[in-house]
Amino acid sequence: MKNETTNQDQAMITNEMKTATVMVSAAVIAGVTQAAVGTPSVDELIAAIKSKDDKVRGPAWQSAGACGAPVVQPLAAVMTDPDFEIARSARRAMWVIVRHAGRPGAEAERKAVQAALLPLLKDQPVPVRREVLWMLSEIADADAITPMAGLLTDAELREDARCALTRVPHPQATQALDTAFKTAPEDFKSALAESLRARGVTVAGYPSQKLKPTKETSLRATSPAAKPGP
Amino acid sequence: MTSPLQRLARRDFLKTSALALSAGALGLPTLIPQRAFGANARLTLGHIGVGGMGGFHLDRMIAFMERDTTNVAAVCDVDENRLANALKKSGPQARAYRDYRYVLERKDIDAVFIATPDHWHAVQMVHAAQSGKHVYVEKPACCTIEEGRAMVKAANDHKCVVQIGSQGRSERECYAANRYIANGNLGQVRKVTCWHYESPADNNPVPDREPPPELDWDLWLGPLPWRPYNPRYCPGSFRWMMESGGGQIRDRGAHVMSNALWIMNADHTGPVSVEATGTLPTKGAWDVALKMDVVYEFKNPDWTLVWSQPGQMIPYFDRERQKALGIRESYGAVYHGDKDKLILWVGDSQAFTETKALEWKPGPGAKEVYKSPHWDHHEDWFTAIKNGTKPISNVEAGVAIAFLTVLGNLSLLLRRKLNWDPVKQEIVGDEEARRMMSRPQRYPYVL
Repeated sequence: MKNETTNQDQAMITNEMKTATVMVSAAVIAGVTQAAVGTPSVDELIAAIKSKDDKVRGPAWQSAGACGAPVVQPLAAVMTDPDFEIARSARRAMWVIVRHAGRPGAEAERKAVQAALLPLLKDQPVPVRREVLWMLSEIADADAITPMAGLLTDAELREDARCALTRVPHPQATQALDTAFKTAPEDFKSALAESLRARGVTVAGYPSQKLKPTKETSLRATSPAAKPGP
Repeated sequence: MTSPLQRLARRDFLKTSALALSAGALGLPTLIPQRAFGANARLTLGHIGVGGMGGFHLDRMIAFMERDTTNVAAVCDVDENRLANALKKSGPQARAYRDYRYVLERKDIDAVFIATPDHWHAVQMVHAAQSGKHVYVEKPACCTIEEGRAMVKAANDHKCVVQIGSQGRSERECYAANRYIANGNLGQVRKVTCWHYESPADNNPVPDREPPPELDWDLWLGPLPWRPYNPRYCPGSFRWMMESGGGQIRDRGAHVMSNALWIMNADHTGPVSVEATGTLPTKGAWDVALKMDVVYEFKNPDWTLVWSQPGQMIPYFDRERQKALGIRESYGAVYHGDKDKLILWVGDSQAFTETKALEWKPGPGAKEVYKSPHWDHHEDWFTAIKNGTKPISNVEAGVAIAFLTVLGNLSLLLRRKLNWDPVKQEIVGDEEARRMMSRPQRYPYVL
C-alpha cells in the first residue's frame, strides 16, 4: 500500500515537472511578453536554444533580449554546437541580446553585456571571436578598445578587428589602429591605412589597393577571333 | 582623368536625341534610321554580374549591338560557368573577366552595368565612377547609409551618369498614374500603402561546406565580413540574407517605393521616423523578415508611407486586360487622396494602373511629368549620358529609395522606432543605430 502511494506520488511529481516544462515552452512559443511570465532563466533559455525543435528554438532566440548579460557566455558555448541549427540559434540569441542592450536609455545593460562579451575575445574558437568583434562594434565603449585591438595581430581575425574598431567612434579606436599600423606586417598595412584615412588620419605611403585587379579567370574563349581576359 | 562625358562628346555618341531599335522578343523600341548615328556612335560597355538581371541587361545590349549602337566589350562574373555562357553569347569582340577591376581599367569602356548581389552595388559603383565610367546599377542602390552617401558623392565628383535599376518609373502606366495624381485628381495624397507577399523561409538548411570549384567565394563575398560558404547564400538566394539582399522590402520595395517617392515628389527628401514590426524565420540560413510592416512618416508635406508583407492584396480590377498584357500577380501600392484613391499594381518591369488614369486627358495648363524615351529605362540612361542630364532613377533618387529599405530593416533588427534627419541623412538619438549606418568593408573591397 505504501509503495503504491509512493509510486503514485512519483508519477504526480513527474507529471508536474513535465507540465512545468510544457508551460515554459508554451510561454516561449506563444511569445507572451516577458513582463507577464518573467524572463526565462539562463538554464531555461539554453535548454530551449538546444531544442531539436525549431518551433521551440526560434521563439527562444527571438525573445532572448531581456535575458541580458548573464546568458552571454553560456550562449557562446552553444555557438559551436555540432548541430549547426542550434549553433545558429545561439548566435542569433546573442545578437538579439546585444541589440536589446544597445537601445537608448539602457546604459547599464549595455555595459554589462559588453563586460560579458570581452572575455570571449580570448580562448574561443575563431567563429565565436569573429561574431563577438562585430557585436562589440555596435555597442563598445572605450573599455572595449584594448581587448578588441589585441586581435589586430591575429592572422585570422585581424581584418574583422580592423573593421570593428573602424566602426567605434572613439579617439582611442583611432589610436589603437595607428599603434597597430606602426608594427603591422606589410600585407596588413594597406588595410590599416585605409581605416586611418577613413578617420581623418594622414598616412604616408600605402596607397589604396582597392582598384588593383588581382584575380584572373581561367576561362578562355573557344572562338579563335575572341580575346580572352587577362 | 577626363570625365566620361568629355570622352563621349569627342566620340559623338548618340547625336540624335532618341535611340530606338526595332521591337522584337526583347521588347526594344521602334526603329530609327541608321543614318541618324554618326561614326563611332557606340557606347562601349562592360557587364559586371551576368546572372539573373545581369543576363537580361546583357541580352538587351547584345540586341542594341546589332544596330551598332552599343559594343559589349567585357563580361565579368565570379562564377566561371555563368561567365562562360555570357562570353559565348556576347560574341568575339567581348573579353571575359573574373575580377571587375580589370573591366574598370580598360580605357575603351565607357560605361558598365552592375548586376551583382546587393552588397556589391555601392562599392562597384563608386569604383566605376572613380574609374571614369557611367553606371547602370541594379536596385537597391546600397545596403547602408554610408554606402549611399558615397555613391552620390562619387557620381557628382566624377560627373558620372548613374541609372538605378528601378525601371518601373519608365513604364507607361506608372507615368500615367504619376501624371493623374500630379494633376490633383486624388486631391491631397496623405497616405501610400504598399503590399507585397512575404519573403520565403529556408526550409532546407544545410551546413557550411567548401564552395563549388567554379565560384570565387572570396570575390562573391567581397566587402562582406568573412564566413564559410553555404549553398543557401547564393546565387539568387542572397536575396533572403539580411546583409546582402535584405528581403522583399529591399527587392521589390526598391521598385514599389521608388514609384511612391517619385509620384509623391519626394526623391530629394526622406521620412522623419521609421517603425517596423515583423516576423522572423525560426530556422535556416535566411534571416530576413517573413512578414513585415513598416511605417514611414514624412513631414512638409505630411504624409505616411506604409510597406506591408503581406498587407492587403488588392485584386486587379480589369482581369481581362491584366491577363492580355501578361501582368504578374501581384504587389503594388494604393495612393490615398482626400478626394479619391488610385492603385498602381506591380511597378518594376511591369506597371498596371486603373483605367481612369490611363484615359485621363490633360487639359490646358495641366502638369506634365517626366517620361523616359520610348518608355525604356536603358534608353533613358543612354539619353542622359548623351545630354549630360540626370536619368529618371538617378543616383540621388535611388539612394533615397534604398535608404527607406535599409531603415526599415534596421528598425526591425533593433526592434525600435528610428528617428531620421532627412536633411543630414542620419539617424538621430540612437548610438547603436547610428553605428549601423555603416558596415566597414573587408579590404580591399572598400568604398
